[in-house]
Amino acid sequence: MTNLNQFESVFKSADKAVYTYDRPTFDRVLVVTDLNEADAANITNRVRKFLNTIDAAGTRWDTLSGDAFGSVQALLESIEKHKPDLIVTYRHLHSSAWQWPYSLGEYLDVMTQATSVPLLVLPHPDDDRALPHSIQDTDRVMAVTNHLTGDNRLVNIAVAFTKPSGTCWLTHVERKSVFERYMDAISKIPAIDTDVAREALSEQLLKEPRDFIAACRAAIDAQGLPIRIEEVVSMGRQIDEYGELIAKREIDLLVLHTKDKGQLAMHGAAYALAVELRNIPLLML
Amino acid sequence: MHHVSTPVTALFVFLLVAMTLSLAFEEKLHAKKSVIVGLFAAITLFLAAAFGLVHPETVTIMGNPVTLPVYVPGINWEVIAIILGSSLFVDVTSKCGLFTWIAIKLTKASRGDPLKLLIFYSVMTVVFSAVLNNVTAMIIVGTLSGVSLGKLRLTNKLLGFLLIEGLLTNVGGMLTLISSVPNIIIGSTAGISFITFFITASPYVVVATAVTIFMGARLFGIKALKGEAAKTEAASLVAGFDENDGVESVGFFRFGTTMTVLFIVAMASVSVTPYVKDLGMGYVALTFAVIMLTRYAATADRFYQAVDWDLLAFFGCLFIVINMMEHALVLELIGEGLKPIIGLGETVGVGVLLVASAVASSVTDNIPLAAMLAKILGGLELASDSPFWWAVIFGANLGGNITPIGSASTLVAVTIIHKNRLPMSFASFVKVAVPFAALQLVLAAVYVLVVLG
Repeated sequence: MTNLNQFESVFKSADKAVYTYDRPTFDRVLVVTDLNEADAANITNRVRKFLNTIDAAGTRWDTLSGDAFGSVQALLESIEKHKPDLIVTYRHLHSSAWQWPYSLGEYLDVMTQATSVPLLVLPHPDDDRALPHSIQDTDRVMAVTNHLTGDNRLVNIAVAFTKPSGTCWLTHVERKSVFERYMDAISKIPAIDTDVAREALSEQLLKEPRDFIAACRAAIDAQGLPIRIEEVVSMGRQIDEYGELIAKREIDLLVLHTKDKGQLAMHGAAYALAVELRNIPLLML
Repeated sequence: MHHVSTPVTALFVFLLVAMTLSLAFEEKLHAKKSVIVGLFAAITLFLAAAFGLVHPETVTIMGNPVTLPVYVPGINWEVIAIILGSSLFVDVTSKCGLFTWIAIKLTKASRGDPLKLLIFYSVMTVVFSAVLNNVTAMIIVGTLSGVSLGKLRLTNKLLGFLLIEGLLTNVGGMLTLISSVPNIIIGSTAGISFITFFITASPYVVVATAVTIFMGARLFGIKALKGEAAKTEAASLVAGFDENDGVESVGFFRFGTTMTVLFIVAMASVSVTPYVKDLGMGYVALTFAVIMLTRYAATADRFYQAVDWDLLAFFGCLFIVINMMEHALVLELIGEGLKPIIGLGETVGVGVLLVASAVASSVTDNIPLAAMLAKILGGLELASDSPFWWAVIFGANLGGNITPIGSASTLVAVTIIHKNRLPMSFASFVKVAVPFAALQLVLAAVYVLVVLG
């Protein structure tokens, strides 16, 4: 006989997150550096070329050179004054700690959480670890998250940064370690068939982002945008998976969330990604 | 007719009352129907044998003498076959995604407007109750209501939706001969054909459905959306539903749809189909179930495990108890008691029988009531178009709307209400449901007396 849960599950599964295309605008861009004015201006010019996809006729570009701020407080006040829609910077401002890939530096650490403005983090200007294709163009953009479904903002920003005729990868990597921990608990519950649970749970976890990506692709195609949407949905260790994808697909820009309403620190794996993925630009939302 | 002493008949009357009360307090006893009735079947069989009321009979089947245990001939195997076959058929067919597809299509067609949603869900409840069964219809529409109203942020209207749907399952359950068990029992005893049943019941079902929706919408304040912004937002919220999500394969979906249509046609035409008319509706139901099971041939046992054996064992045991009551002349006694009611004629008598059936089935299971009355009325040799049959059909079905324990589908409605953490006690259900049930019963009485009388 049919039962309540069976149909409730069917209807809940059929209730899918809706994607709505909405192009974000970046009217004011602030480039924050710790260099002298001339070098800072060079960086700004390079970034403008890199980000020509969002560089409209009316876009205002401002540059902060190293002597414009000497403390985190001064930098935040400067940001407040400029009211940018996008901040471009790099790790370890006013520090030589960029040589050790274990942190972001005090300025970037605070900026990621104290402002609501998207932060584009470039490889450090003195760091030769940047990939050869880095900061050239945004032909290959990748949005990364462990919960893509319903995340319209992440998709819209990733799409906005993708160069016409370029490719935007929408990715979702489900954390295998967490999955295995739950499966281990399930395997000790006699009322639940472990094999059935493993198959059904893993299928459902990956189905939702796949459905959402399909909805994104359909909506973006309907808008007539000249970009390709590709899907990467898998289960694994996020850092490893993304590292491999970046190298394999020669990704130009990684877009990710860093904020978590429930905590002051960066959410989930964002910090680890921001620290470890230093060879390409990251757009941190 | 053999002689049975009055004390023996009285003892069996006591057992019948005890069983009826036990079924009414099934929840309190924490016992399944099949166990309760099974226990009474064992006791009544033993006492019937001890008092010499029953003896094993030897019958000749295809030339071979066979001695049947006394409890075998008492069971109405046609009813058991229809219920088993229909349940299996519906269970397997639901896997093709047809019913959820229809449900989601209608949700999207409403564009999230609460009043349209109520009308669509109500009509869907009635149609699903008629084609499937009341319980499955309530589960499908009730769970969808929970999900879709949650999505539309209209959970304050969910209680109203679920109550109206619950009340309409018993209205839809009167549409066809196979829509509810009382219909099957009464219809097969009276000799009412599928088509005749449908033609007779459908005008009432249409009117009662419309009245229930109208009354429910007013009582629970379910209104159409006003303003373009609200309409656009609601439409975008339900647009996220994907009707194809539950469709495993397009081929199986088409097969399931075709088989559902054929099932209804086959059931409707049993009495005129050569050879099949000799085999009956139970054969049709079981055959369609087997055909559907070929899709899951290797895992058919999963569906057998999912069959509601409690319900089937309940029916089997119930028929045995009623058979023993017949041997103990209890049914004759009740029939004598009913004679004054029937003697009131086809106006007052029918009206009283309808109300009495409704009241009785509101506090206990309507299946024993239908089975017993079918046996008693069958003994009076009434014509198949007698309004007395319809009085029992309408009363037994609609009586389930008076209390939450009156029918399995209203019990499911209350279960869904509680699952959604909405307050609903026995008394508050009765308070809300009685005006609906009273109106439906008045309409039924008028219909039976004026149109069918």
